[in-house]
Amino acid sequence: MIKIRDLSLTLRDFSLRDINLTIDGGEYFVILGPTGAGKTVLLESIAGLHTIKHGEIWVDGVEITHLPPEARRLGYVPQDYVLFPFLNVIGNITFGLDHTAPARSAREKQAKELANLLGISPLLDRDVRSLSGGEKQRVALARALAISPRLLLLDEPFNSLDLQTAKYLRLELRRIHLTLGITIVHVTHNQVEAEEMADRLAIIKAGRLEQVGRPHDVFFYPENEAVSDFIGALNILDCDSCRPLGSGIVEVTCDGMHVLLPHDGAAVRKIALLPRDIYVSERQPPGPQVNRFKGTVTGIKSLGAAVRLEVMVGSRTLLAEMPHDIFSEMDLKVGQEVFLILKLRRMRVLESDGEVGP
Amino acid sequence: MTVRAIKGPGGDRVFKGATVSALALLALFFAVILGAMLSYTRWGPFLSALLSEEILFAVRLSLTTATIATALAMAIGIPAAYALSQMQFHGKSLVDSLLDLPIVISPIALGAALLIFFNTPAGAGINSLFVFAVPGIVLAQFAVTIGLAIRLLKSTFDGIDPRYEQVSRTLGYSKAKAFTRVTLPLARNGLIAATILTWARALGEFGATVTLAGATPLKTETLPTAIFLSLASADVARAIAVVLILVLIAAVALVLIRKVAGRGYPL
Repeated sequence: MIKIRDLSLTLRDFSLRDINLTIDGGEYFVILGPTGAGKTVLLESIAGLHTIKHGEIWVDGVEITHLPPEARRLGYVPQDYVLFPFLNVIGNITFGLDHTAPARSAREKQAKELANLLGISPLLDRDVRSLSGGEKQRVALARALAISPRLLLLDEPFNSLDLQTAKYLRLELRRIHLTLGITIVHVTHNQVEAEEMADRLAIIKAGRLEQVGRPHDVFFYPENEAVSDFIGALNILDCDSCRPLGSGIVEVTCDGMHVLLPHDGAAVRKIALLPRDIYVSERQPPGPQVNRFKGTVTGIKSLGAAVRLEVMVGSRTLLAEMPHDIFSEMDLKVGQEVFLILKLRRMRVLESDGEVGP
Repeated sequence: MTVRAIKGPGGDRVFKGATVSALALLALFFAVILGAMLSYTRWGPFLSALLSEEILFAVRLSLTTATIATALAMAIGIPAAYALSQMQFHGKSLVDSLLDLPIVISPIALGAALLIFFNTPAGAGINSLFVFAVPGIVLAQFAVTIGLAIRLLKSTFDGIDPRYEQVSRTLGYSKAKAFTRVTLPLARNGLIAATILTWARALGEFGATVTLAGATPLKTETLPTAIFLSLASADVARAIAVVLILVLIAAVALVLIRKVAGRGYPL
């Protein structure tokens, strides 16, 4: 378990302010925020890479605030992995054991076990400079895990990987987390990644923790403007009729659209859907026309890695987001007719009769 | 030629021509000097000068003193350059500027300053050890080359991502261990190049050496001092022999540096 109390830190023109956070043992915890928010500085503070003058950091009941990094036994995987170029793969993995385990054979045995767990056994003799991004990430993970750390600190672990590799490695990392049961603190700016990986997450902005909670609660019930600004606009639909279809599915009519969603209980009054949970297609998608609507693109806005579309469906505008590369392939323009697919499992009931909020 | 005429693709050609011509002229300048010297050489006297006891002594003395001075410069320069590159402390910029002094001031002025120091109460006690003695050569070479060594080493350490050390700290290494086990291997090529350049510079040092250690044949006569003494006694063949020895050593040093740089680690 990690406990951070009243942590404040100033580094040149940047400050972390009054960070209070508890991360449970075995939890997969994500620190999410925009670039320059202080995510990495917070992670590095836990790792012991900054001198702390205000506040305390405790791990498993022991205060580590002023311990040097080498005395903390925390596994740290920096952004871009920072593998030692003068060592091969096995040399990198055993690096943290060189001064602990007595025999070379024992170190290599441990490295081989980790390589097996991470699926990099065939790479052990390779030069690390010849590895792909995904392979480098696994080697960096193995190197950090080799010291049997009390927890694992990951700084943007999927940032320099292509979409497919990142998707696959997210599943892998989840599997490793389940296998080892280790506490993981993972820093990212990517909301999809955070939502997919986190047991709980914290939103950090301008050096301040703004909200901590389960992904669902943070994304659908932002506690303040800073969080809702970062999460982005939600699609919130007011519903005026609700008909149970059985098997936990209801059909609601919201702003003239008939929408199916999973729900058990009182009549739905308000539903919410994140813009990234609405697919956009240029052609009418095949299959049953459930939660699919025809609309017209009325606005296109670039958000850096993603593009947000405003699509008019009947009398109301829905927001949909897609990665930039997919947008470039589709060649969408304002005024173009498109089809929207609302992901059924991603819809959240914000209000139902007699029940408001989380 | 008007400004308009050197714009566009034609202008590019003119620019390229001008820069390449400057380079060609420079190469020609040194080739002519070297060629003229070789054409002036009469090989009989040259070979006997080359194998004379005095020149062989100067070669041995120069190689020994330059090697010791370089070892000292590296032993002090490596930690000093690392501190300048990676650490923050009060007076850092002052120290940094002070270390530039030996690079910019004339070596003879540095030698004079050392000589004067040994004649003050602070230096008088060890005067006889250094003044007009072989350790004085090492000291002069060290004083002249340490600034260069620190500049070269600092730029090597500047180029190393501090995250390598940070990662090794999280893997259980103390700061000192992280330096020796991670930073030094990463700096390997820069260290080798700095050592070779410092050594070559020490080998060619004359101004400070002659001022502090004098120019006594078979005692404090290094290779550059031998050139000076040969010319002073109008022994051109001997001067040419020593110049060619220095040119040969410099060429070997440059080839070695090229080899090391060509094998660089892409960090």
